[in-house]
Amino acid sequence: MNEQPTRETTLRLEAVNLTKRYEDGVLALDHINFAVQSGELFVMLGGNGAGKTTAINLFLNFLEPTEGEARINGIASHREPLKAKQHVAFVSENVMLYGNFTAIQNLDFFARIGGKTDFRRNDYRDVLLRVGLPEDVHDKRLKSFSKGMRQKCGIAIAILKDASAILLDEPTAGLDPKAGHEFVRLLDSLRSEGKAVFMSTHDIFRAREIADTFAILDRGRIIMQEPASNLAGKDLETLYIQYMAGHNNSSVAAAGGIHA
Amino acid sequence: MLRTVIDKEVRDIVTSTKFAVAFGVCALLIIAAFYIGATHFKVSQEQYEASKAVNLRQMEGVTDWMQIQQHRIFLPPKPLAALVSGVSNDIGRTVEIVGHREITARDSKFNEEPIFAVFRLLDLEFIFQVVLSLFAILLGYDAISGEKEKGTLRLSLANALPRSTYILGKFIGSFAALSVALLVAIAIGCLLLPTLSISLTGEEWGRLGLIILVGLLYFGVFLGASVFVSSLTHRSSNSFLLLLVMWIMTVMVIPRASVLLAGRAVDVPSVDEIDAEKATLASQLWEEFRADLSGFKPSSNSQADIEKTMDEFNKYMDSLTTLRNEKIAAVTDRLNESRRNAQVSQQRLAFDLARLSPATSLTLATGTLAGTSLDLKGHFLEEALAYREGYYDFMEEKTGVNMRGGGMFMRMSHGEEEPDPINPRELPDFRYQPATLAASVESAVVDMGILALFNLLFFAGAVMAFLKYDAR
Repeated sequence: MNEQPTRETTLRLEAVNLTKRYEDGVLALDHINFAVQSGELFVMLGGNGAGKTTAINLFLNFLEPTEGEARINGIASHREPLKAKQHVAFVSENVMLYGNFTAIQNLDFFARIGGKTDFRRNDYRDVLLRVGLPEDVHDKRLKSFSKGMRQKCGIAIAILKDASAILLDEPTAGLDPKAGHEFVRLLDSLRSEGKAVFMSTHDIFRAREIADTFAILDRGRIIMQEPASNLAGKDLETLYIQYMAGHNNSSVAAAGGIHA
Repeated sequence: MLRTVIDKEVRDIVTSTKFAVAFGVCALLIIAAFYIGATHFKVSQEQYEASKAVNLRQMEGVTDWMQIQQHRIFLPPKPLAALVSGVSNDIGRTVEIVGHREITARDSKFNEEPIFAVFRLLDLEFIFQVVLSLFAILLGYDAISGEKEKGTLRLSLANALPRSTYILGKFIGSFAALSVALLVAIAIGCLLLPTLSISLTGEEWGRLGLIILVGLLYFGVFLGASVFVSSLTHRSSNSFLLLLVMWIMTVMVIPRASVLLAGRAVDVPSVDEIDAEKATLASQLWEEFRADLSGFKPSSNSQADIEKTMDEFNKYMDSLTTLRNEKIAAVTDRLNESRRNAQVSQQRLAFDLARLSPATSLTLATGTLAGTSLDLKGHFLEEALAYREGYYDFMEEKTGVNMRGGGMFMRMSHGEEEPDPINPRELPDFRYQPATLAASVESAVVDMGILALFNLLFFAGAVMAFLKYDAR
């Protein structure tokens, strides 16, 4: 599918009736629909096995959809995967990278396969400083890095790619509060640059700090999707637990006045 | 983008601990193989010269060429045989020329020094076959599954990086990193040769270059197999286990099992059976010969014509011996040919079956190029036969007697002065001519082609498997 000039300047990520049924019959995603605009941070909440990572895998073409489409900049990932992936950066839950390489060597490799071949050492240094990694660790091997430092490298790689959309799969899992806070600040700055950010997470508190839009995914279905502004003053944790406990809409609505 | 993946792969391998350890061990073994080979060659060279000297010395003082009881020729040692020993230590290196019996080679290196038969000499072929293949597996078993476990595969393929480019880069990168390391070790080994006073001819350098090429092709097979198996599994421990089983099958089981199967399928009469048949015939013909000998009738019974009578007797006996030898030769040829044909069929079947394993192609190709393949024995005996013909001509020229017929010769002495001793150095020199480089390459090209085919198959398999690989 070709890019469409007017909408795609804002619409970066789209799930259209996105469905995935695995070969063993498990329905991981059931006709979900959502869209992420440029400058928007979309948070997908959900328990283990809800289908959050499956959605990301469909955007990255690691899986073929059973039905529907995952679009990046209007390009269906499963039809033109290489073209679609030019417009998206990805940060995984546990960024490992190459342990024998330094931070700069890792950045150099991933920047190059991301299509950026003209970066110099200073560019890598600037982006590492931006994500909060001091200069004295830039030439250290990744195997000596903590998880928080590796996550920062991961986000630095995403920044270097300069893609219009960023997919983050549980990026704050296992980070200490300080590292988590720094991470959220980074996401905020990326959003300010107009990036469309999709983040799957269990971390309601971090999500609340930063999200523009919330969605709750349960057993492959989006059971709630609301702009953050609609949730102002609401107890998001209670709402989430009630949704996850399978409360019906009316009881949830009674607690917070939300409509799925 | 391909270059980026290749660069990454080279750096990733070269900076790993397992590479440092594997390369260290491999380099040490290769250099040791060159050193041991060179030393072994020098010792063999000295033994060869000593044997030749002893052979001539035992003829010293002999005054009649007819009195030579023993004349032996020896297979000269070759430096390449010390690097790729093949069967060179198993076959006899000495051939007795005097007489008309069937030519056989005896006194093999392992016969003289059986300890080496138990613990074979460390040579390049052994290092390629066993160590290098394990080295390739050790460095390639986690090529894809390891990247998946680390999470770097997912991150890499989240980019607009075609999978075919990724796997091609992986293959080229790992092959380049490992083969350059290997070539460095071999180069050091080659530099050792002149320092140990071993000089190779231009042709021998060419052969060594081809042997190394075959080694790299073999190495590529195991590297390709490692990447292929790694593209089929999702855990590096599983791919390592599978590759270990494959290694045992290809290096240890298939070549040996093929020989056993071929032995069962094609029956080759033993040398003892053939010898027993020959002995029966020889004994029967000897009886006939003795009976015929008693039928000799001289043309004159005069004492004065004793010399003429001796001459007639010699001629009569010569004709009988020739007849007897022709009969023996005909039967012997038939028996030998039948055994040789069965042996060739068995050998061909064994090799065809064994070629399912790349280790067989490596052994056959390197042996052929080094001149130490199974053909070495046959070639040496052919050369020895040709030499014996020259020897017979020489002896006929010196004595006037055609020694091809064998048998007994009687010579009358008239009480003349003792003649001068013969000069054994007049004997024709045995110059062993190994197969030409062109002939060796022609023989080795099939196995080199098989190795190249294995490379292609594993690479194609790896690409096919990786295109469908679940990178999640």
